Amino acid sequence: MADEDETKEYRWESGYEKTWEAIKEDDDGLLESNVADLVARAKRKRAALKDTGAIQLGMMRHLFVVVDASACMFLQDLKPTRFLCVLKLLEVFVHEFFDLNPISQLGILTTKMKRSEQITVLAGNQKKHIEALQQLKDLSCEGEPSLQNSLERAMNGLKNMPAYSSREILVLFGSLTTCDPGDIQKTIKSLKDNNIRVSIIGLAAEVRICQEIAKKTGGTYNVLIDDHHLKELILNQVQPPAVAGSMEASLVKMGFPGGSPIVNDGTSDSSADHAPAYCLCHIESETSSLMGPNGYNCPQCGSRYCELPVECKQCGLTLVSAPHLARSYHHLFPIKPFIERAQVRETTHCFACAKLFVEAETNVIIIVNFRLCLFYHSLPFLFLLKVYECENCNQIVCLDCDLFIRETLHTCPGCASDPVTAQMKTN
Amino acid sequence: MLELKRALDAKGHCLLEMPSGTGKTTTLLSLIVAYMKAHPLDLTKLVYCSRTVPEIEKVMEELRKLMNYYEKEMGMEQNILGLALSSRKNLCIHPSVSKEREGKVVDGRCYSLTASFVRARHAADDAVPICEFYEGFDAHGKEFPLPPGVYNLDDLKEYGQMKRWCPYFLARHTITHANIVVYSYHYLLDPKIAEVVSKEISKTSVVVFDEAHNIDNVCIDSMSVKITKRLLDKCSNSITILETTISNMKENDSKRLEKEYKRLVEGLRDATIARETDMALVNPVLPSEILEEAVPGTIRTAEHFVAFLKRVVEYIKTRLRVQHVVQESPAGFLRDIHTKVCIDRKPLRFSAERLASLIRTLEISDLTDFSPLVTVSHFATLVSTYTKGFTIIIEPFEDRAPTVSNPILYFSCLDSSIAIKPVFNRFQTVVITSGTLSPLDMYPKILDFHPVIMTSFTMTLARPCILPMIVSKGNDQVAMSSRYETREDTAVIRNYGNLLVEVAAAVPDGIVCFFTSYLYLETIVSSWYDQGIIDQLQRHKLLFIETQDAAETSLALINYIKACDNGRGAVLLSVARGKVSEGIDFDHHLGRAVLMFGIPYVYTQSRILRARLEYLRDQFQIRENDFLTFDAMRHAAQCLGRCMRGKTDYGIMILADKRFSRADKRSKLPKWIQEHLKDTNCNLSTEECVQICKRWLRQMAQPFSREDQLGISLLTLEQLQSEEMQKKIQQRAQGV
Repeated sequence: MADEDETKEYRWESGYEKTWEAIKEDDDGLLESNVADLVARAKRKRAALKDTGAIQLGMMRHLFVVVDASACMFLQDLKPTRFLCVLKLLEVFVHEFFDLNPISQLGILTTKMKRSEQITVLAGNQKKHIEALQQLKDLSCEGEPSLQNSLERAMNGLKNMPAYSSREILVLFGSLTTCDPGDIQKTIKSLKDNNIRVSIIGLAAEVRICQEIAKKTGGTYNVLIDDHHLKELILNQVQPPAVAGSMEASLVKMGFPGGSPIVNDGTSDSSADHAPAYCLCHIESETSSLMGPNGYNCPQCGSRYCELPVECKQCGLTLVSAPHLARSYHHLFPIKPFIERAQVRETTHCFACAKLFVEAETNVIIIVNFRLCLFYHSLPFLFLLKVYECENCNQIVCLDCDLFIRETLHTCPGCASDPVTAQMKTN
Repeated sequence: MLELKRALDAKGHCLLEMPSGTGKTTTLLSLIVAYMKAHPLDLTKLVYCSRTVPEIEKVMEELRKLMNYYEKEMGMEQNILGLALSSRKNLCIHPSVSKEREGKVVDGRCYSLTASFVRARHAADDAVPICEFYEGFDAHGKEFPLPPGVYNLDDLKEYGQMKRWCPYFLARHTITHANIVVYSYHYLLDPKIAEVVSKEISKTSVVVFDEAHNIDNVCIDSMSVKITKRLLDKCSNSITILETTISNMKENDSKRLEKEYKRLVEGLRDATIARETDMALVNPVLPSEILEEAVPGTIRTAEHFVAFLKRVVEYIKTRLRVQHVVQESPAGFLRDIHTKVCIDRKPLRFSAERLASLIRTLEISDLTDFSPLVTVSHFATLVSTYTKGFTIIIEPFEDRAPTVSNPILYFSCLDSSIAIKPVFNRFQTVVITSGTLSPLDMYPKILDFHPVIMTSFTMTLARPCILPMIVSKGNDQVAMSSRYETREDTAVIRNYGNLLVEVAAAVPDGIVCFFTSYLYLETIVSSWYDQGIIDQLQRHKLLFIETQDAAETSLALINYIKACDNGRGAVLLSVARGKVSEGIDFDHHLGRAVLMFGIPYVYTQSRILRARLEYLRDQFQIRENDFLTFDAMRHAAQCLGRCMRGKTDYGIMILADKRFSRADKRSKLPKWIQEHLKDTNCNLSTEECVQICKRWLRQMAQPFSREDQLGISLLTLEQLQSEEMQKKIQQRAQGV
């Protein structure tokens, strides 16, 4: 984010930064050396909270991202400006989103000058969205935003989506005010009736109406502290949410294009396969290139695509590959949260990383220990090391591994290595 | 609680400052109720005085919760009767009377339906209308006490409807044996009402004055009289009515007048007896020595009294015809009235009683017309009774409009202890409490009592949910102050404007601003308009202004709330000491920030105030400046407290005046605000202030759940019982 030299402000133009205030002493005159530890714990708490409630997850998501483009997005409390920072993070978000939710669709809206504009329509092609986001950077931010208008517009787009998909709106809201033409309560009500979940990330402070919208529609409302926190908040939205209310189970028609066109799988005719073809994703752009032999053909109409997943332009079939589906599979079977316990004497090593339990947190504790030995009895919680136990295989891991397993691995190494439980899971 | 218990044990008075939203009401109620249960002989009754009807309702809600809890825990019906009392206006269920809007009219019409002579007449002639609800109550209600329980105003009405009894009289009747009575201050402090309503409350009661930071002003208002020319004209009218009625009655029914005469000769002996047996609350309007005497001969007969009243009214009229301001003591007034129209002190003293008696005898049912006359008679009685602690000021015109002749006679009470003294003397424990009572030591002085306990509590919070800041200068380093000399300075006004605009851009939802006076508000807004600040402001939020018109203000308030609710955000410009600053809560999103522009000193040029200051200096050795600062700071604190109504709430408090950072002002803020007012936040410029706001708002916006509070500001039973916590509580209690 530091590459835009022309937008970089002079030091004296920026806000006061009291860097020394980031370092805080607690009541006993200690520096908060265990901040990182606390953050990790908080993370774990969040993860645990999210996991417990989810029974059925909406794997097929239709999401509108609403980006505030009002005057306040030019403020520089996020570097270089709020708007650019948000766009940058959104690119990451779009990428991650399609990575984790390959069969979902996304659209982008902006709101400024009391109106709302559509940047991209609901589509499953991440390249398009990222391109659009990059173009947005030149957009000038002005006027006031309108929550109602953008929600209405997003709602119109989502209304007709099939009932088995999860309809969501994510608003990145920098302003503290909204300029609406009518009663926003009605909009909230119809959002609720349409089963649309609105999540809002505030960039400045807690605004009551946002809180209310999120609460009533079953979404989340968060306000960032700094840009790292914002990234975390945005990426939290990548995980598919639990299904709200009754969502009907139904069969979705999908196409699995053959991996390589050379292999004649019988779905398309062999003469067409060998002819040079344009890929449909790039046919509109000037620099469209002739496709090489590697491409995917739609099993229904035979159109070619250079990339999956995509929605077929010709026949509207969702084209995915098997690994994509498999990747979203873990959403359906999230691992159970590990149980937090005080350290057990018998096990001294983490099952996953094989480190000694003490090592991980010694640094923190030693510092604390010297200063606090007097208060030992009054502050017992500081010294009790927490370890985490899997419910199924009873293996014990450390905090770092717990987070890793939860956020990246999505499978418990203990269970996976144990032939009995692994068998059970696959069955 | 500990402190309160001590006060109850000692049977003394106490003064408690507790921040709003920390369960003040619940604490008071639960301890006192528990005490009542434990020592039923020592403590028989709780009288809880609050300010407004919604506040009364809130107290009743708390009480109901408490009772439900008792029932659940003890598993049986509680034998405690709690009820709320309000004016007839709020309690009347008579189909036509209750439609009236104005309290006085309702009172008058009620009286015309329920007075004893009206009912007597009704017995003779069915055409005379009476109130069926009152009849119902009179016939049956007195024998059957209200079943134990908690009754708020609506419950009383419902009960009244069900039984066809008048809820107002039912409540008034029930007061004598209810365990908990909740009503407005005035029922206890205003001598005119107190006599009717509260005189039979037993001595072993606890009296709680909630939201009592203005109690001295209430006391003073209840004893002060303001007479305008219009009022006197009305008096003359009612005197002529009296005259005609008397002459009529003389022709028809002279016996009644004779009877009255005889009664007056016997004097007010019954009242004396009542007071000796300690049955009644001492009425400060009616000092005891009067009771022992008979009504003087000169005003015993009705005609003479009316003539006497006429003279008094005429005399006051002549006095109002002055061209310059006159200030004199009651003694001087008495001398003057004696030399000019030959009226003695003694008959003046009895005029209130005599008038009441006359009206009763004449069977005048519509009291509303006579209220001016009653006011004058009260004035006469007061002026002749008290020579100390009062002053008379006659102003021929208002200060703001010196050319318009609008003579007003102020008879103002200077000593707030006069009205409250009987309360302190009579009841074993009086608890004065509010969110903002600091500085505490001033109250015992001006109310002239000796509290056994005087404590200020702070809040235990899981997060710093208030952010008090003193902004002393603008971005251009020009000091901000509402000082008289710099008041008109455009730089100061502009800086105030910029501060508001920047805060409005950084703070979500509602912002409330307080100015020192309506005049100042108007000048500032008009120059903001010229400077284009209003335009800038409206880009962020809508703007609402409090005016002196109550209807307009309430409309503005409704729209303000609407704007906050639907996310547009709003700024409310209002005035310290105005309607908004007293009694209207801006909780959660309605008041994310409070700005105090300037120090809300009272209008120091007012003659009444100056007279009071002088009196305070002479009698209580309180320096003028101390009192002014005290008064200003308590109002400032009151305004600031508007945004903070509970532990989950949060709000910014910005004091925009250089003078706030001085020690004498800062130290007078309530402790719970001072605790959060760090030295680094005491001398900020606009920009610094906005930066701090932004960061703080983000922190506050992070999800805050019940668990986070647990163990810090919310304790489970186990935690409460744990030894560690006990120690902590002990420590805190001693630290206070």
